[in-house]
Formats: sequence, C-alpha cells, structure tokens
Amino acid sequence: MKKWITILLTAAMVLSLAACGNSGADKDSGADASSGADSSDDSSGSDMEYVKGKGKLVIGITDFEPMDYKADGDEWIGFDADMAKAFAESLGVEAEFVEIDWDNKIMELDGKTIDCVWNGMTLTSEVTSSMECSNAYCNNAQVVIVPSDVADKYQDKDSLSDLTFAVEAGSAGEEAVENLELEFTSVKAQADALMEVAAGTSDAAVIDSLMAAAMVGEGTGYADLTYTCGLNDEEYGVGFRKGSDLAKALNDFFASSYEDGSMLECAEKYGVQAAVIEQ
Amino acid sequence: MAILEAEHICKSFSRTEALKDISFSLEKGQALSIIGSSGSGKTTLLRCLNFLETPDKGVIRVNNEVLFDAEDPSTRQESAIRKKRLHFGLVFQSFNLFPQYTALKNVMLARELLASEQADYKARKKEIQEEIRAEAESLLMKMGLSNRKDNYPHQLSGGQCQRVAIARALALKPDILCFDEPTSALDPELTGEVLKVIRELADDNTTMVIVTHEMAFARDVADHVIFMDDGSIVEQGDPIQVFEHPAEERTRQFLSKVTI
Amino acid sequence: MGQIMEQMPIVVDALNVGFLQTLKLFFVTLIGAFPLGLVIAFGSMSRFRPLSYLSKFVVWIIRGTPLMIQLLIIYYFPGLVLHNPIWGGGEAGRFLAASVSFILNYACYFSEIYRGGIQGVPVGQEEAGLVLGMTRSQIFFKITLLQMIKRIVPPMSNEIITLVKDTSLARIIALQEIIWAGQAFMKGSHGISGAIWPLFFTAVYYLIFNGILTMLLGRLERKLDYFR
Repeated sequence: MKKWITILLTAAMVLSLAACGNSGADKDSGADASSGADSSDDSSGSDMEYVKGKGKLVIGITDFEPMDYKADGDEWIGFDADMAKAFAESLGVEAEFVEIDWDNKIMELDGKTIDCVWNGMTLTSEVTSSMECSNAYCNNAQVVIVPSDVADKYQDKDSLSDLTFAVEAGSAGEEAVENLELEFTSVKAQADALMEVAAGTSDAAVIDSLMAAAMVGEGTGYADLTYTCGLNDEEYGVGFRKGSDLAKALNDFFASSYEDGSMLECAEKYGVQAAVIEQ
Repeated sequence: MAILEAEHICKSFSRTEALKDISFSLEKGQALSIIGSSGSGKTTLLRCLNFLETPDKGVIRVNNEVLFDAEDPSTRQESAIRKKRLHFGLVFQSFNLFPQYTALKNVMLARELLASEQADYKARKKEIQEEIRAEAESLLMKMGLSNRKDNYPHQLSGGQCQRVAIARALALKPDILCFDEPTSALDPELTGEVLKVIRELADDNTTMVIVTHEMAFARDVADHVIFMDDGSIVEQGDPIQVFEHPAEERTRQFLSKVTI
Repeated sequence: MGQIMEQMPIVVDALNVGFLQTLKLFFVTLIGAFPLGLVIAFGSMSRFRPLSYLSKFVVWIIRGTPLMIQLLIIYYFPGLVLHNPIWGGGEAGRFLAASVSFILNYACYFSEIYRGGIQGVPVGQEEAGLVLGMTRSQIFFKITLLQMIKRIVPPMSNEIITLVKDTSLARIIALQEIIWAGQAFMKGSHGISGAIWPLFFTAVYYLIFNGILTMLLGRLERKLDYFR
C-alpha cells in the first residue's frame, strides 16, 4: 500500500507541477504527523465528529449476499447492511452505501470517499495493519472448491499438493494457500476464482465458506462445483480509517445489540445466526 | 500620376537577402511584367505588396496614400493591414481556390463577408446578396465559365480553376491586380486560355503586376518590364527595349537561356 | 440454456442500467473533449513559447501514462494527499471524477488529431483568405474548419470507437458501467449468482453501439466527399 501511495504521489506531483506544487510538498512531508488543528484530518481522533459533522456514514461495500445485497428495488439489505443502518442511526447520521472496487478499499478509506468497509471482511493481517478494525462479529472459514466429480479425492489438506489454485488477490484464501506452499494464481475477485475452476484454467479455488454456500452446488450457477475441506478459520470485522474512534463506538454498539438480542434477530433474518460471535 | 509607388524595399529571410533596395512605380491602367529566374525575388516582391510578407525597409504608396512605411509602426498593425490589402488582388500560382465551395461561391465569399460588416447589411440583406451574386455571375461569364459556376474546384481543369481565381480576385475591385506565375502550375495546353483572359484584362486597362515565365506573353501584354536577378532590379523599361536591346549583360544572359 | 432464458430479463435490466452509465460517460467525454482538444491544439501551435511548451508538456504527461492511473490519481489524490475528498464517495462524485479524467485524456489525443488536421490544410488557403481581406476568425470558420474536419474524421472515428470501449476502465474507481454490471452476476446480484454469461453478453451491447457509430461516422465521411 505504501508503495502505491508513493507511486501516486510521484505521478501526481508531476501532473500538478505548477498548480499545487507547494501544497503538495507540504502535505507530503507532514501528512502523517499533522496535528488535530485541522478539523478535516482523520488522524487526530476526531473521525466521529467528522462523520457527525457531515451527517452521514458512507459505507463501502460490494454486492455480497447475504451480507450486503439488493433483493427487490434499490435498497441495500443483508446482515451487514441492516447492522450498518442501525449503527448509523445510533450515531444520529444517515447511512449511505457505496459500491467500491474491493482492491481499492484502503485507498477509498484514506481518501475519505468512504468512512468504513463493512462487507464480510476477513480480518487478515493486511486488513488489521492498515485499518482500525472493530471486534470480530462473525465466523468464517476458507474452503476449497473443486469440480464435484473429483471432490472425493480432495477431502483433506494433504491431498491438495498436485492441484493448481485460483484465489482472490489479497484475500484470506491467498494467505492460506501461500502458507501451505501450494501452486496458485491470484485473480481479481472470488467470483473470478470460481470462473477459473469452472473454465478448467485452474483445478481448484479457495473462497469464503459463506460465499461458497451461496454460490456453488445444486441450484446455483456453478452446479458442477462443490466445496470440500476448510483451510483455516477466520473472522469478519468492520474496518475504519487508521486511528478512528468509530471502531470503539461500533464495539460498544455490537455489545449492546448482542445483549438485547437485536443482533441475533437480524442474523436469523439472513440465515447467518450460527456464525455470529458473542460480543 | 503613378498609382503604385514602391521605394527602397528590402527583405531578408534568416540567411538570405531576398530583396535588396527595390524601387519602382506603376501608372494607372498599365500592366507591369516582372521577369527573372527562379529565386530572383519576384514572388517575394509580390507577397510584400500584398502584405503576406512584411518588408524590413521601405515605403509602399497607393494613390499617394502611404500603405506601408517600415519606419512607422502604426502602418504595420494587423487590423489596419486588412483593409489595405483590398487595394491589391492576388492570383496565386496554385490557384488556392476554396475546395468546399462552388466556383460561384468562391467568387462571392469575400464580398459577402465584407458586406456583412456594413451598417445597413441587415436591412438590405437580400438586395445586397442579389447584387453580389449578379456581379459574380457576370465575372464568371467574362471568364467564359458561366456553365461551370456550380462546379466544385476538383471538378474543374487547372485552366478553369485559374480563371475562377482571377474572377475571385476581381470581385473585390482591387486597384492593382497581381499575378504570381499564373500559368506555371498548368499543363502547356491550358496556359493559353488563362493568358487570353489576362490579355483581355490588359485591353480593358486593368492595372496589373504580372510575375511570369512566359516571355512572349510578358513582351506582348506589358507596358513596362522589370528584370530581377538575385534580389535586385537589374533593368527596367518598356518591353521592346528590355527584350530587344537589353542594356545589361545579365539580362542578355537570361534572355538567351529562355525561349521566347 | 433454459436457465439463461430465465435469467435473461433480469440480466438485461441490470445491463441496461450499466450501459446507460457507459453512454453517459461516452457522451459527456465527447462534449467536453471536442472543444478542450481544440484549445490544447491551438495552445501547442501557439507562437507564444511558454504556452506551446506547457500544452505539449500536458499532452506528453497524459498520453504517456495509462488512463487507469489517471483515473486513480484524479479520484483519490485529493482525499489521500490534500485531505480534501472533493469528489465525495457517492455515485455522482465518481461519475464526475471519471468524466474529468476522460475529458482530459481524450482532449489530449484529440488535440494531436486537430493539430494534424489544421496543419494539413495548405497554407495557401489562409493566404488566399488574407489577400481577400478576411479576418483570421473568418478564415478559420469559413475556410479552414471544414477542410480540417474532413481531414480528421477518419482518425477521429478511430478514437471515438476506442472511447466506447475505454469507458470500461472507469470501474477502477467503482463507476458502475456495463462491465461492472455484467461482472456482478458472477459473484451474485439480483438473486443470480455464479452466472458468467452476462459478462460476455456485454460485448453484444458494445458491438451494436459501435456498429451504429461506425455507420454514422461513415455517413459523415461520405457527406464530406463532395469536395477534395
């Protein structure tokens, strides 16, 4: 990520040579260390005020059933979407959902085009090091996807060594196959990984179990695929800008809504109650 | 009285001196031929008269009015030059007709644009346009192109194109009509029709400056001939004298090399 | 096959929405880049050196870097570095940022085409106008412009058709154009998940639209064939 910003900066400096050369140079050296005097600065711990000031919480999502999706009409629903709406309400602000490119989630956060990522996001080391994350609220696992007709051969981790994998770049699945020293190709999205298997360009894929349940097997678009063993257990969390005080506010909100049962009630509505973590 | 007077015109391009102290004058109703080998400065002189080049030194007067004086910056303003150009018409070697317009529209266009700047244009628009059109049609008829007026330039032969270009220049009723090698881009069999038109103009006492390589034509049509070499006027006088009894050795050499 | 027929109406609805966004970006880019390109072309042909160097510098930067990077910089740079997310996170802001990037990018390509077109008109045309007492603007609008248009139609057609396809790059800043809409069905959207065919089906939209464009541009080219 740092490398990205450096490249962006360099290019942008060239681009804005005369116009914003001065301000660019100032910000460049002082961006991380700037003080709380600037009310629009997120690293001062005033993120809550910033969000309340503009009156809305912008939630970065992708279309991901059952967490964030549209059923009929224009409204975003799902376990994550409903919880996000309730959280925004508790802050007294409006919830605005924005579809983002998953690869750019950290840039979107830091660039303040969104205020949080709330989309069944696995708490990987990449995520926790670049975002201020809430407590885990949901369990998940990474599972291996193979064509149904050969599924019998690949029911445990040791049997996977002769397969080539497709995994989403930067995902927990990628981390898992890397740790097992398996041969893999990184693709843009979990859905692309499935397509690789369906098209035969890769032998197998590793994706979220929640997603696998929704997307493969009978009655889905990938009826010929199935999932076998789980590679590692993991947890979902919500990501805010680094240093944001909203993460703590959300933890408090999770705790109280778990206590009064509203969180589980919401989870039951979308069939994920078994995965919810006690707060 | 001379209608055109040019005095001490000098013009240099980055390395070469194209015109070296050129002076001449032209009487109203007369035709002046400028002859000389390629690169002798004939075309540059013509372009200076039409303000396509700005002389470095010298004065140009038309009807005793100073149009250009290198010493006087006020005569070099773009806005002033535009009106002064109208004293001159220029017929190019390569015609430079506007390809997207018909022959008739080529002749009318400049007049229309000028008329649209008149104060009473809006009130008399139809009347003025009718007048311009009628004049343009009669000019084309004079050029023998009545049946070609709705053709586009690419549908015309080179000779026809050049005659349209002459009509176009005449449409603005210039005091002095300049020709820059008007037949050099034409096939030999087409030069005759263009020369014939210019000859007729001379018979009508049109004041003209003709840069040409057609020596016989220059001798027959011109009232006055200038021979240029290396940016200077070597010899000038009436055609019989210059062509038959040249005083200068360089003129003799040049004339011996060209066929008349 | 039966399943595809079942999904078809839902998919087509979603693709239409995406394609509308594609078309919007396409037309906004053209409307902005046509005049801006002319300004840059005149800038780079200016006799005032600093202006011509500046114009050429901008053209070099824009043509020398991928449009995708330009999109990322224009959208994220204000928030990331200047701490002022001027575009906002909403759909309108993303569209605006994409429009600015595309207009700037295409204006630079257009400017070079214009420049070739203007410089391709023989200098004798301008001189003929001058000796006929026309002003510079009369010469440009009455004489040079149409000849220039005739010259630039074929290379312009190429760029315009490329632009239709380039709009898909805008999904890097999450502008939901037709490819985005098609891809959404792979992961799951509108109750359909794991469907690959909608993504490939988007090609039909591009083909039809580009077919219409090719026809119109060809007609324009023939229309200008009356002179040479």
